[in-house]
Amino acid sequence: MNMLDIRNLTIEMDTSNGPVKILDKVNLQVGEGEIHTLVGESGSGKSLLAKAILGFINPRWRVTADRLWWNNRDLLNMDAALRRQITGRDMAMIFQNPNSYLDPNSTVGEQLREAIPKGDLRGTFIRKMVDKRTRVVRLLHRVGVKDHDQVIDSYPFELSVGVAQKVSIAMAIAHRPKLLIADEPTTAMEPSTRQQIYRLLTRLSITQGMSMLMITQDVASVMPDSDNVTLLYCGQLMEAGNKQAVFDQPQHPYTEAMLRMSLRDTDAVEPKTHLPTLPGAIPTLQHLPIGCRLGPRCPNAQKDCVMVPKVTRLKQQSYHCHHPLAPNKRRKSAS
Amino acid sequence: MTALLDVQALCKYYTHKSIWRRQRKVTALAPVSFTLERGETLAIMGETSSGKSTLAKLIAGAENPSSGQLFLNGQPLQRGNFRQRCQHIRMVFQDSDASLNPQLTIGQQLAEPLLFNTDMNTEQRREAIAQVLKKVGLLPEHASFYPHMLATGQQQRVSIARAVMLDPQIIVADEALAALDPSVRSQIINLLMDLQKDMGISYIFVSHSPEIVKHVADKILILHRGKMIEFGATQTLFEQPQQQYTKLLLQVPAAANN
Ligand SMILES: Nc1ncnc2c1ncn2[C@@H]1O[C@H](COP(=O)(O)OP(=O)(O)O)[C@@H](O)[C@H]1O
Ligand code: SF4
Ligand SMILES: [Mg+2]
Repeated sequence: MNMLDIRNLTIEMDTSNGPVKILDKVNLQVGEGEIHTLVGESGSGKSLLAKAILGFINPRWRVTADRLWWNNRDLLNMDAALRRQITGRDMAMIFQNPNSYLDPNSTVGEQLREAIPKGDLRGTFIRKMVDKRTRVVRLLHRVGVKDHDQVIDSYPFELSVGVAQKVSIAMAIAHRPKLLIADEPTTAMEPSTRQQIYRLLTRLSITQGMSMLMITQDVASVMPDSDNVTLLYCGQLMEAGNKQAVFDQPQHPYTEAMLRMSLRDTDAVEPKTHLPTLPGAIPTLQHLPIGCRLGPRCPNAQKDCVMVPKVTRLKQQSYHCHHPLAPNKRRKSAS
Repeated sequence: MTALLDVQALCKYYTHKSIWRRQRKVTALAPVSFTLERGETLAIMGETSSGKSTLAKLIAGAENPSSGQLFLNGQPLQRGNFRQRCQHIRMVFQDSDASLNPQLTIGQQLAEPLLFNTDMNTEQRREAIAQVLKKVGLLPEHASFYPHMLATGQQQRVSIARAVMLDPQIIVADEALAALDPSVRSQIINLLMDLQKDMGISYIFVSHSPEIVKHVADKILILHRGKMIEFGATQTLFEQPQQQYTKLLLQVPAAANN
């Protein structure tokens, strides 16, 4: 069952050059216990989509959608207070820099005690205090922090990035959310720490049945256990579907480019020669191309790309492109 | 022939004051010696807090060594002579967000090194800034932007633009490539390699990505708890690492989709 069901979500803002759609008819479905990864370079609208789900969108921007449902409830046409209550109870988010989220002025223990829902505790004051401590320790164990005594008394800046990120995950899951959104949680982490965080998130999604929306800028950092992926570029949907299908048989030129650029296979390129890349730069908001926004950087672009392509649905994936990859090219990039 | 950069027994200690115990001396970097030639790329690798950033900062002059010396083209680099060092050795930081001044436009930040180190007039500076922005894959119109108006990847490009602005001999980059968008990262790596070919720039990259290191580096220096435990040609270290630690660091992680 889809916990999250988003259809044709559009967010429009006014710029000096007139209104701009910073998200343009984006779809996203995330099932119960599913790990879904949003992939896209910066400015593609990944964080914006996450904020739209949580309801943190600048009130001056126009948000429209055919559907913005969470757990079969319409978030968009709901009383604001009720929406805050539901998202606050059911959802949580972690970020690239855990220290931007943790309070530098209080210890990890203090912050975790704060994060434990009041309703969970019963009995006398003393009993509650003892209970809280046990829960904090249990929470730290759940995110793989073993030396809890030391961590509880530390201030966030005294922790390594990996441990700080684990603590921020502990805070996020303290109220047992049904959806965890992780915005580039491992970007700029060294490989072994990154693996640890991946294993932790995967375990949480399995043991807690939590749905996860992961956000990354690189296909190389899509978690191995991610079920589905959605590729965005400049606010538009490029390709989406089952991770294996999309990566093995990409239909969209952007997916193929992202796979080639991911450096998964440096053996294939002679050292010190040019790496594969997309030409040009990500356009600024004021200069978004009309039609398919990948147009100026796309190797397959033709005249009709000035019209936004409609969706094409295959068995396990869908894509928005007028000139998808030729079948032989697909097979090549799959090898 | 003298080496471009000759690092001799460079080291860094910190003393931690403690009320109960005697002063504790912490070795951030035990004496390290190596040389770097013109046009070469050196990668510094190691776990978190193994001393990578300390070594990078000592070379770039962002911190003073406890002892040891640096020679550039056979000339000793003076501690206080920032101008000499600034022109020839430039540093690009991990956190472009923090190294850019939020109060100044991109154009103003890029003009700063030109104001201090060249005799260019306003028009020449504007032209040089437009050129360097194009070089790093931005647009000349970005000169009028403030840092917060740019995406992270674009901010990193500005940092790199600022580093290449004065045609330095060595660029030291501390994890500058890790957080970049894939297309930007490939473009920047390609750009850095082109600059190296054209102008003979040398690079010192702190990196934890074996994929990138394999592609760009000529030599690798491995740090473990503040000590250099291995140093050698890239191919040698990838094919015949002497240390288990090196082997683990250079292991290319399994691809996400298999
Ligand atoms: N507060 C803001 N003011 C103006 N533009 C914004 C703001 N926040 C985001 N944007 C723009 O919206 C687009 C999508 O941004 P974002 O969701 O942060 O992308 P991503 O997370 O994929 O890097 C970008 O072009 C960005 O510049
Ligand atoms: S619609 Fe056109 S420009 Fe867009 S991805 Fe397809 S071929 Fe490229
Ligand atoms: Mg983002």
